[in-house]
Amino acid sequence: MARTINMLEAINEALSQEMERDERVFILGEDIGLSGGVFKVTDGLLDKFGEERVLDTPLAEGIIIAAAIGSSMMGLRPVPEIQFADFITPAVEQIIQQASKLRYRSAGGYSCPVTIRVCCGAGGGSGLYHSQENATWFVHEPGLKVVMPSTAYDAKGMLLAAIRDPDPVIFFEHKSLYRQAKGEVPEGDYTVPIGPAAIRREGRDMTILTYGFMTQKSLDAAEQMSQKGVEAEVVEIRTLAPIDKNTILDSVRKTSKALIVHEDKKTMGYGAELAAILSEEAFDDLDGPIMRVTGPDVPAIPFSPNLDKAWQVSTEKIVTGIEKLATY
Amino acid sequence: MASKTNRAVMEPEVEKNGSPSNDLHVNLYKMLVKCRMCDEKARILFRQGKYKGNFYSGVGQEATSVGTAFNLKKDDWIAPSHRDWTSNIIKGAPLKFCFAQLFAKTTSPDRGRSSPAHMGYPELHVITPASSIAGQLNVGTGVALGIKKLRRNDVVVSYFGDGATSFGGFHEALNFAGVHKLPIIYVCQNNLWAESVPLRLQTALTNLSDRAKAYGFPGISLDGNNVLEVYDAAQKAIGRARGGQGPTLLECKTYRWYGHSEIDPAKYRVKEEVEAWKKKDPVAMFEKQLLEKKLLTDAKKTQIAAEITQEINEAVDFAEQSPYPDASELADHIWA
Repeated sequence: MARTINMLEAINEALSQEMERDERVFILGEDIGLSGGVFKVTDGLLDKFGEERVLDTPLAEGIIIAAAIGSSMMGLRPVPEIQFADFITPAVEQIIQQASKLRYRSAGGYSCPVTIRVCCGAGGGSGLYHSQENATWFVHEPGLKVVMPSTAYDAKGMLLAAIRDPDPVIFFEHKSLYRQAKGEVPEGDYTVPIGPAAIRREGRDMTILTYGFMTQKSLDAAEQMSQKGVEAEVVEIRTLAPIDKNTILDSVRKTSKALIVHEDKKTMGYGAELAAILSEEAFDDLDGPIMRVTGPDVPAIPFSPNLDKAWQVSTEKIVTGIEKLATY
Repeated sequence: MASKTNRAVMEPEVEKNGSPSNDLHVNLYKMLVKCRMCDEKARILFRQGKYKGNFYSGVGQEATSVGTAFNLKKDDWIAPSHRDWTSNIIKGAPLKFCFAQLFAKTTSPDRGRSSPAHMGYPELHVITPASSIAGQLNVGTGVALGIKKLRRNDVVVSYFGDGATSFGGFHEALNFAGVHKLPIIYVCQNNLWAESVPLRLQTALTNLSDRAKAYGFPGISLDGNNVLEVYDAAQKAIGRARGGQGPTLLECKTYRWYGHSEIDPAKYRVKEEVEAWKKKDPVAMFEKQLLEKKLLTDAKKTQIAAEITQEINEAVDFAEQSPYPDASELADHIWA
C-alpha cells in the first residue's frame, strides 16, 4: 500500500522500519532523541527503541562519526546524523582519513558500513552557517558513496539501501525538501539502488544534469521552456559517487547539449567534473558548449533577504540558462 | 542485540597474592626482548635500504606496549599509533607477516598499502592505522561502543603519544568513553617529545593522567619503563573494562631512544637526556631483576636471543622472497 507522505516522514519511516527489521541498526547524533531532531526527522524513535539505540551524543561531530565507524567494525549498522552540513567539518578527519580509506588501507580486512545522514542546503533564510550544500567535498574521496535524493520515494528506498550497503554512505537530505517533496511511498520494505541516475523528464533538445533541490526547479524550468518549443531532458544524479556515467552519457549523446544545474558553488563544483567527463567521453556528440547554472562563488548564503534571494538558483535562472544553450 | 546475557566479570590475570607468576615474568621478558630485537632489525633493514618509506622505532618504550598488550584475548582489540608496529607481534601476529609489512609485499596484511610501520592485523583485531595522530584512539573508542552494545566482554587497548593528548579528537573520544563507561584502556606513551616539541610546550600539566579527571574516570601515571608496574596497572584497567566499570587512562612515562623516525637525527634533544634514559632501559632493568631472582640464567638468556634471531632471520627471508603487489591491484578494495 502506498500513500502520500513527505520526505521527512519517509526518512523517519525508513529508520523506524530498518531498526525494527535489523537490531544491529542504531542512530546517534545531536538532539536526535529527546527532542526528536531539530527538523523532527527522528521524532518518536526514542520512545520506540530506547536510549540504547537512539543515542543523544555530546556536541562533538568527530566522535559521533568515529563512534559509528568503530562500532560498524564490530558488525553494527550505525546511522549517525550531522545536524547541519555546515557543521560536518570537525568530522571530516574521521570521514576522509578513516572511513573512506579503512577498506583500502587494510586491503579489505576492515570495512565500515556506516550511513551518515546530513541535513544540507538552502532553506528559508537560514544564513551562512545553516544553509551549505557541500556534498561535493566528499565526492572527491574514493571509498565513500555520496547520495542525495529529491523525492520522498527515493529518500526511503535509498536510505534503506544505504544502511544495507557494505560501504560508508553519506546521505544528504535537503532541508527544503523535507516538507516540500511529497509523493506516493509504499508502506512496506523496498530499496532504490545506490548508483543509477534517473531520467525525470524526456526531451530531445538538451540534457539538464542536476541533483537535490535543483531537480524540481529544473523540471519546472523545462516545463516553462516546453511551451516555447524547447524540450529539455532532465537527468537527476541521485548518487553523486560513484557516478552513473552511462545514463548521463547516453542522454547527452541523444540531445547533444548539456546544461548542468546545482545549488553548490560553481568553481570546482560537481558541474566541473561532469563537464570534464562529457568533454572526455562525448566530445564528438556535443553540439554546443557545456553550460552551468549554479550557486555563485560566494562563501555561503548571506542572511539578509535580498542577498539570500540573489544567491538562490531560481527557476528563472535555469530558464535563462536553457534559453542561452538553446541558441546554439 | 545478539545476546542479552550480562557481561562476565573477568579477574585480572594475576596470582592470588597479587603478583604475576614466575612463568609470566619470563614470558614478559621474552616478549620485551623480541620487540627490542625486531625493532632494531627493522631499523637496520631500513638503513640498509632494504625497504623504502620510513620507520618509527619504539625502542626504549617496549615496556609500555608489552606490559599493556600481553595476555590480551584473541578477540580483544588494539588501536595502535605509528610507533606500535610491535603491538602486532605482542598480539600474536607471525613475524614473517610483520616483516612483509615493512617490505610492502603481498604477504603483508594490507598487501603493501600502508607505510611500513603502519601495520594492522584484522584476524587479531589490530586496527590498521591511519597516520593521523589520535586517529585510532577515536576509532578504537567506537569499537569499544560496539563491544558494549553487543554485550561482549572484549576490551580495546589504545596507544598514543603525549602529542596526541593536545588534539581535539583525544578529548572528544575520552569524554564519550567516560559518558558511556566504554571498555577501553587509553595508554599514553609519554616519551616527552611530540616529534621535536618538548612536553613543556605541549601542556601545562606535569602528569598527563590528570586529564582523565575531566572525563570522570581514573587516570594513573606510571613508570613506563617498569614492565611489571605497567602490567599490574594494565591488568587492573582491563579488569575494570571487562567488568563494565569503564575506561582508564594510563600514562606510561618513557622515552624513545632514537629520532621521531629513522630520518630524524633528533638534534633537538641533549645527549645527557638521552643517555640518562638509556640507563633506565626497560629490557636491561627487567633482565637484571630476573637474573638476581634466579628466574633467568645467562645460558637461558643466550638461548632466548638465539631463538628470536633465528625467527627474525626466517621472517626477513620470507619477506624478501615475497612478491610485490602487481600494479593491476591499484584500485582494488576501494568499495566492496
